[in-house]
Amino acid sequence: MNHLVHGGLAAIELAERPNQRALAKQRTREKIVTAAKLLFAERGYEGATIRDIARAAGMSTGAVFASFTDKADLFTDIAETEQAQLYAAMRLAAEGLDGRVAILAMLDAAAERQLESLALFQAIMSALWTPVLAEKARRRLERRSAASLVLAVVKSDLGLETDGRCAFLIADMIWDGYVATLRRAALDGLTLDQVKTRIHDQTKTILAGMRRG
Amino acid sequence: MRDTRKAATRLRVLQAARQLFEEAGYEAATIREIARRAGVSVGSVFTGFESKSHVLLEVIRERLDELYADLERVAPHLRGSTADRCRSLFAVHYAFEFRRLRLFLAHLSVAFEWRETRDAPVMGSNPRLRGMIRDCLAEGIAHGDVRSEVDLELVVDLLVGTYAWNYRLAAADGADSERLTALFDRQVGVIFQGLSPTR
Repeated sequence: MNHLVHGGLAAIELAERPNQRALAKQRTREKIVTAAKLLFAERGYEGATIRDIARAAGMSTGAVFASFTDKADLFTDIAETEQAQLYAAMRLAAEGLDGRVAILAMLDAAAERQLESLALFQAIMSALWTPVLAEKARRRLERRSAASLVLAVVKSDLGLETDGRCAFLIADMIWDGYVATLRRAALDGLTLDQVKTRIHDQTKTILAGMRRG
Repeated sequence: MRDTRKAATRLRVLQAARQLFEEAGYEAATIREIARRAGVSVGSVFTGFESKSHVLLEVIRERLDELYADLERVAPHLRGSTADRCRSLFAVHYAFEFRRLRLFLAHLSVAFEWRETRDAPVMGSNPRLRGMIRDCLAEGIAHGDVRSEVDLELVVDLLVGTYAWNYRLAAADGADSERLTALFDRQVGVIFQGLSPTR
């Protein structure tokens, strides 16, 4: 009887082991990411080294490299997660709304989120311009541009479906204006309300121009 | 005497940095290498500049000062609608920056790293550029092209932001200055339609 029970437990343990290993691996990744986010935000992409990140996470550089191929991989991973969360927040904010209201709600939600972690956003925006990030990484991030969320609304609600190029132009401009405002927010220390006012003003200008044009 | 020597060192550092940024690229150029080429110590580079970013921003500012010396003379004589005059100002910028595209992309990268360059003249806060665009807009208001109640600083930000952000197509897609100029011309069209007095 005892013998059987033991055998049973051993079998269960065996079955769970790979799972636990995956879990441990996941925890290690999370630790690295948490430490890296802080350091990238503090020092930028170039300023934060893998050695610093490993030390902050309480592990060896080898352990970091077991989870991520290199710094670019780690950074891209963080940037992708940030983007995915940002887009989810934007989508949620626009749910059930349409037209201009939907766009403004998306931008408000984005500002609320990004103003909280402005330093990390800066680090990501800055790194996107530099050749230090592999071309592939940049494309991975560029393709899923936030402008495409705006684009969806511009296309479906504002009657621009016939001229796709124009819709692209408008959506990009709205997002560019948003990014420029966030930069200004960091330079001048704007409050969330000030940021929102500016973004609304800009976006309305662009949308008004689109309707008249 | 001490000040003259300091100024001479600064000049040499800037010249060495400009060459090195062009040859090796901003990221690959080190302060040590800049110092070696300028024939000064690493320490004396840091007496003049807080960081490599500050050296870059100064290189860019000097470059733009040369451009603006000409452009400010021409700007008041530009013709056409407010949108067209604005287009001309930025078309000159695209043509100018594409001659040293790598340098300018490095500048954009640094412009987003405003942590350490808070007080430096980063992209978009250059007073001469902002001044020219503001003048252009103010004239637009006087001519009835632009609504009088618009926040000029905000419009300047939007125009400069749009102008600068278009460079991502150059960074990622290899777009040339003609393509960016054509794109910007359309964007300016939308912005000025939006700014025009409601009919």
